[in-house]
Amino acid sequence: MPAVQVENLVKTYGDGTQAVKGISFKVDEGEFFGFLGPNGAGKSTTIKILTTLLRKTSGLANVAGHDIEHDPQKVRKLIGVQMQDTVIDEDLTGRENLTLQGHLHQMHGEELKERVNTLLKIVDLENAADKRSAYYSGGMKKRLDLASTLVHRPKILFLDEPTTGLDPQSRATVWSYLKELNQEGITIFITTQYLEEVDRLCRRLAILDHGEIVAQGSPSDLKSEIGADRITLGFENGNPGAGALKDKAKQVLSNLGGITEVVDSDEGIVIYVKNGGFLVPDIVRAFDGAGIKLASIGVSSPTLDDVFLKHTGRRIRPEEIDKSRASGMFGRRRR
Amino acid sequence: MTFISDTYYMFLRWMKKLVRNPILLFFSLFQPIIFLLLFTQLFSSFGVLLGVNYTLFATAGIVLQNAFSSAFQSGTAIVDDIKSGFLAKILATPASRASILLGRLLSDAFRVFAQSLIILLLAYGLGVFPATGILGYILILVTVAFFGLAWSGISLALGLRTKSAETVFGIAGTLTFPLLFMSTALMKPQLMPTWMQNVSAYNPISFAVNAIRDLIMTGYVWNSFSQAYGVISLIAVLTLGATLYEFRKVVS
Ligand SMILES: Nc1ncnc2c1ncn2[C@@H]1O[C@H](COP(=O)(O)OP(=O)(O)OP(=O)(O)O)[C@@H](O)[C@H]1O
Ligand SMILES: [Mg+2]
Repeated sequence: MPAVQVENLVKTYGDGTQAVKGISFKVDEGEFFGFLGPNGAGKSTTIKILTTLLRKTSGLANVAGHDIEHDPQKVRKLIGVQMQDTVIDEDLTGRENLTLQGHLHQMHGEELKERVNTLLKIVDLENAADKRSAYYSGGMKKRLDLASTLVHRPKILFLDEPTTGLDPQSRATVWSYLKELNQEGITIFITTQYLEEVDRLCRRLAILDHGEIVAQGSPSDLKSEIGADRITLGFENGNPGAGALKDKAKQVLSNLGGITEVVDSDEGIVIYVKNGGFLVPDIVRAFDGAGIKLASIGVSSPTLDDVFLKHTGRRIRPEEIDKSRASGMFGRRRR
Repeated sequence: MTFISDTYYMFLRWMKKLVRNPILLFFSLFQPIIFLLLFTQLFSSFGVLLGVNYTLFATAGIVLQNAFSSAFQSGTAIVDDIKSGFLAKILATPASRASILLGRLLSDAFRVFAQSLIILLLAYGLGVFPATGILGYILILVTVAFFGLAWSGISLALGLRTKSAETVFGIAGTLTFPLLFMSTALMKPQLMPTWMQNVSAYNPISFAVNAIRDLIMTGYVWNSFSQAYGVISLIAVLTLGATLYEFRKVVS
């Protein structure tokens, strides 16, 4: 029995916004499932529907074996939800926040006390457990929020960007904890901007764009679908965003052989090509001949970034990409 | 029955929040205390006109005025919960939906109960002791708490509908004084202009005030007591109905 099964799910908001336009997908029990997409794609909307917080417009959705519309109470008992914005009661202490969640899930007494202690330890909040959470740092609040979704040992965890806003160390801790949870058999449904972690941990993923699923599969399948290396061309005079230069560059590229695909990106132009390394000299020569000034050129084997870019035409997060681009760069030409 | 335990834990949460915001607690009591100390001094000569001890007369009105304005905190609290996402967080648990509202309303009733007790103790210091004695105290507090619970429904419904604390505050601020002054809270009807007497006669605050005033000044007056409970029950049905209706819309 799948943990999540969605068929033709549609959500149209009251103001007419079509946030989700008939998506279908399945998450198996025990899976670590990534749900990716650019801003406004409909990820949070989907999560709210699956967690019974928002009524769907049409379609079918089963979560933990129960229909979300007919059996919402059964669904609620089996899931844990962390919303995109951190939600804790800041007037309560960390311990009280967790205990309240337990109480609302019918947990009591020693069992609950122990569970809360364990979780406080796991998210490294033991020392601040009895401090009002208003005085927690942003990262501490986020970790408390995560812990509060786990009190009742949910079978399925829905996490909407659980590591955004955490420092790299806490982020790594949370990811490794999620991995542990998954190994214990908890199904994880996660939206995130961190593609490297998705690549490492998610068994399967779906990419949502403008309310539609544009790709789904395992990270390795999706990457090999691209079947080519990536060459990133950066231009001088800022980005060639203004059409003319870009068009000219594309014109030049179209005369070169072996190119699978040319995609516009925030930084310039991305080319997908088999054996990218061999094409670089040709590109440089051709651009020289056409008088196009290149600021940088980089080659890398495909990553989830490329999968994302290919299907949505967008980078997931510019500042993240800067880092990976720097490492994938082998030549930088300036004149 | 998880409904009862859920309600209890929701109630407990609100009580914790209340005692951890002493400033809010202080200011919500500040106004009635000022009223009690200043109005009764300022208007003490009314007492002569009315032929009563004005402090004795006004205590019921001040207790009710406090309940009235205190009830509006409920709506702003629910707006906070909607905005912060905490309401959604609770809704994602199997907690009984009704317990969410009831827990809040009970905490409102409890707060008004405690505030009224403080006012009555202060009034005692000013020489006010109910004609009905200790049992009278209990009846007064229960009546005020019931009134507070009923009024909280209005502010809850407003909060759920407008999702704006400013709006709830604005409406509360606009309503408080006209409703208070056009009631028997601080003045006998005889001294009002005729049109105001008519308004006052139908003003729900008047009914509650009259019942409590009788408990303080006269004794057990079945008539005023039963009328007050009739009116408050009616308000409760209307406001809680509106609250449920708005809550359903938010929850769906
Ligand atoms: N309550 C609402 N009323 C109307 N439109 C809404 C509402 N909530 C979201 N939307 C719209 O629905 C679309 C999808 O929003 P959603 O929050 O699901 O996106 P998302 O994929 O989670 O984006 P992000 O990565 O920015 O969190 C957006 O166009 C958004 O403006
Ligand atoms: Mg979102």
